[in-house]
Amino acid sequence: MAGPQPASLADVLERVLDKGIVIAGDIQINLLDIELLTIRLRLLVASADKAREMGIDWWEGDPFLGRGTKTALEDRIKRLESRAGIDEESPAEEES
Amino acid sequence: MNEAPTSRGDEIGTALYVYGVVPPSTSADLFAGVEGIDSHGLVQLVAAGELAAITSSVPLDEFDEAPLERNVRDPAWLEEKVRAHDRVLEAALSGGTVLPFRFGTIYRGEEHVRKVLSARSDLAKTLARLNGTVEFGVKAFLDRAAMRVRLLAEQGLQDDSPSTGRAYMQRRQVDRQVEEEVRNLAADWAHESHLCLAAAALDGRMNQLPQPELSGDDREAVLNGAYLVRTEETEVFRRALAELEDSYADDLAFQLTGPWPPYNFAEYQEQ
Repeated sequence: MAGPQPASLADVLERVLDKGIVIAGDIQINLLDIELLTIRLRLLVASADKAREMGIDWWEGDPFLGRGTKTALEDRIKRLESRAGIDEESPAEEES
Repeated sequence: MNEAPTSRGDEIGTALYVYGVVPPSTSADLFAGVEGIDSHGLVQLVAAGELAAITSSVPLDEFDEAPLERNVRDPAWLEEKVRAHDRVLEAALSGGTVLPFRFGTIYRGEEHVRKVLSARSDLAKTLARLNGTVEFGVKAFLDRAAMRVRLLAEQGLQDDSPSTGRAYMQRRQVDRQVEEEVRNLAADWAHESHLCLAAAALDGRMNQLPQPELSGDDREAVLNGAYLVRTEETEVFRRALAELEDSYADDLAFQLTGPWPPYNFAEYQEQ
């Protein structure tokens, strides 16, 4: 049997952001929807992986694997953000 | 409050990030050389009663509410901090038992941390329950294309494109049946696998399946399980997994991760 494999970012995220005991801290953190956070990180990871594989201009190369995937994920982010009532251009700032 | 002006977190501009709790007997040496969530803050233990919190100092200009809310939206920032959170808990795990806290548990100073530890003595019970345990993650992936070919072959069909209109319509009907059969079988297998793994562990959880586009894995996951395993029974658990790999060799690919700090079992309520 193969031994344990290095933890993927998705495995770490699922645990650190979504599991573990919740104790009220002094600083209230309002984490975004876990799915939304994961998508954002996937975008980053996908970009970095592809960049390594194909050179830094990967997005110019393969419209499906490059720009296509990224666009699909970005669309999904937009949908989720609008569902969560978040406006990407103006991150929630405290009115003071 | 100026009760302890020199203790960490009470300095102007810093707060204390808490990763989790460990028994107070835990050696601080475990964290020597382990980089915390902020590169300037050493990972240190803050003890009170039967508990010690794993902490490190973080700058408020990054971790106070408003900047934190902005920062968690930055994928690069979040990945770095989430991995640091896990790294510190892994270091704690290497020395024994650890009860992981959710990401982003932050206090204004050491005194606040001590107060919480005193108020939450129930955490000592949870820690005792997790004593000597680790978590393993097991995912099972389905080779849908191979399964489809096999199910079609059982009906004397090949995975090709029929040329006549009538054969095409028949094939579409068969395809729908095959799809449904694949779905049902996969769910059964996932459930059976989970029961086998949970039987070889202290406890088990079936978590939400990762979306392929999010996990970065093109394969289709049918099981995303987490299992609480006594450290000395790790081999028993691995054998159970090896048996599953044998019995489902044609259909499922299993992936083991861990040992993890017991993230999935931190909230468990004692019966």
